[in-house]
Amino acid sequence: MMKQLFPIRHVMGYLTSLILSALALTALLDIPFASKMAILAVTAIIQASLQLFVFMHISEMASTKKELYLNIAYALFVGLVTLFGSMFIFVWGWYS
Amino acid sequence: MKIDATKPLEYGSEENSNKIFGFWIFLGAEIALFSTLFTVYFVLVNRYATGPNGTELFELSGVLWETFLLLSSSFTIGLAVHSMRLGLKKPMMIFFGLTLLMGLGFLGIEITEFFTYVHEGATISTSAFTSSLFVLLGTHGAHVSFGILWGASILLQVKRQGFTLATANKSFIFSLYWHFLDVVWIFIFSFVYLKGLM
Repeated sequence: MMKQLFPIRHVMGYLTSLILSALALTALLDIPFASKMAILAVTAIIQASLQLFVFMHISEMASTKKELYLNIAYALFVGLVTLFGSMFIFVWGWYS
Repeated sequence: MKIDATKPLEYGSEENSNKIFGFWIFLGAEIALFSTLFTVYFVLVNRYATGPNGTELFELSGVLWETFLLLSSSFTIGLAVHSMRLGLKKPMMIFFGLTLLMGLGFLGIEITEFFTYVHEGATISTSAFTSSLFVLLGTHGAHVSFGILWGASILLQVKRQGFTLATANKSFIFSLYWHFLDVVWIFIFSFVYLKGLM
């Protein structure tokens, strides 16, 4: 019964997400700023993918798999262009 | 309505499949929404005027509890959908209920945190930094609050009607929503709190 209710895929996904959150805390250590940002980015992106693939089963229906990937990719494209475009102009002074 | 028995009940009719597909499109729009809020925050994070900055304001312990609760609730809603696919009503309702309770716990901590911030002189109008912070955290918190109400009403329907084309579909769509809120929180945890505390 326990095995039936707690599939190994979900349990491993959960433990991995907890470990990744703990790993992200190493960004608070006294290390170079670039390494800190790299740790935060890598752990966050892996965790987000974990949710998407392990928990949300984005790829489970063959009939809509391609469209859903395209939808998420497009949303991320719009989001990242907004984010980095604004950073270039307002924070990193790319225009000057 | 024609029920396709080869698929899980939540995908059981064409209407159901379309609703799930439509919700994914909505989540795409939510990604764009939160991207703009993160953008505003990152642009304004150093404009804290005479008010406190992130390092002075944030406290790690509450944030860790919030993260733990949201990650765990994301796990239990996944288990709820898994139980639903096995046709196990009672475990599904327990996992679903646990998810909502952990959501409430998360909200409790977040509201306490907001009170502390305001008490320490960081209101929404203190600086550009606090405005963008409260709008980002508040939008996520409002999503969680709405999710708890929405989820509770779905749970009630599952209790009354059992697993039908409609209730299975709603429960599954709710699980997508809840996982998405966890994804947004992961980025808040890393790039608002941890980055602020660095």
